[in-house]
Amino acid sequence: MSASLAPECNEVKEYVLSFRVHSFLRTVSKHEYRRYDSCFLKWYSEKFLRGNATTDECEPLFKQYKQCLGKALKSRGIDSMLEEAREDNRENDAQHLRDG
Amino acid sequence: MVKFYSSTYDYSYPFPAVTLAYFLRYPNPYSTHVLSTDTISRSFDPATQRLTTVRLHLKRSKLPSAVLKLLPRSLLGASAAGDSQSYILETSTVDVKEGVMHAESRNLEWTGVLSVVEKQTFRRPPPPSDDQAFRQCEGAAEKHGFLEKGEAAGRTDVQSTVILLSRLGQWKKRRAAGLQSEQDAAVAGKGVAEEEAEQPQKVGFFKSWSTASLQRSIELIGLKRARRSQPNAMEGMKVVLERMREGGLVGVLEGMRRDREMVTSHGHHGTGPNKVTAESDQVIEDLGDFHED
Repeated sequence: MSASLAPECNEVKEYVLSFRVHSFLRTVSKHEYRRYDSCFLKWYSEKFLRGNATTDECEPLFKQYKQCLGKALKSRGIDSMLEEAREDNRENDAQHLRDG
Repeated sequence: MVKFYSSTYDYSYPFPAVTLAYFLRYPNPYSTHVLSTDTISRSFDPATQRLTTVRLHLKRSKLPSAVLKLLPRSLLGASAAGDSQSYILETSTVDVKEGVMHAESRNLEWTGVLSVVEKQTFRRPPPPSDDQAFRQCEGAAEKHGFLEKGEAAGRTDVQSTVILLSRLGQWKKRRAAGLQSEQDAAVAGKGVAEEEAEQPQKVGFFKSWSTASLQRSIELIGLKRARRSQPNAMEGMKVVLERMREGGLVGVLEGMRRDREMVTSHGHHGTGPNKVTAESDQVIEDLGDFHED
């Protein structure tokens, strides 16, 4: 989970890679909670991996991040590439099955 | 005309830690070519306790340069030569109840030229029935902090498969013709490749290759790449797991920050003289291997 391909989305995506990180999982600052990656790591390690998860608590943050990322994917033509890939993968998988 | 490369190995870390390390594996000192990682979608099913994630990685370098050399200019287009970034789509499902993670990575671009699909399964081994073994593992697992008391799995088994497929020059033909004629073409192409491999290398040589032999050589080069890069991917995961054991998540994130400084200080300024030499040597090595075949 490194930086976003769209730097403008790091504001909502990334954990704060600074002194604040020292407080991670202990006294996490409110600022960090606003970052999707931080939220996810905390939820994943504290709830999901322990089998205690009931909902994806980071979904609201993910929506914000996704909204930002969606624009970036579109402006770079990556959204259509993803669509093509889905189409292409079906064909490739079919041939993998035939040949394999 | 598909190439496979499979291997099995294990990490001496518990399953939960390995899955976390998978999500945190970029950047690491063995993967400084990964420029960005974004989560495209993520869904959690509370009933099954399964988490499905789709991520997009941006990496430096596109196809192996040996493959690029095999392709006609017309296919590459004007911008292709200077463009040195590629997108990788990664889909993973973690089943925390069953202790299994399935992950699949594939290239997004150039899939007609070479589609590379890497499938990995991470599995928690069945708990030992022997009481003594149980007690020994328990301490280590608890110390790690990710395991509930009593879960005695300090190891994660990995099965990895890379599937390579070139469909170069085949899109329309395959749709129009049936499978049988495609196989015929493959057999015929093989004969041509063997004949032509005898000829000395010259300008325009590659153009005279049949589609089938081109596909075959591209798959072989891809296979070599996969074989070479896998140990690095494994070492990268180990570095992340080690950091996690030493310093928890903070340790991982700080290591990541250091690695990223390396990426940003070297990554965006193209390749230095040493890198260029290494790359050319690689092309020669790749092609040399093909001709021996």
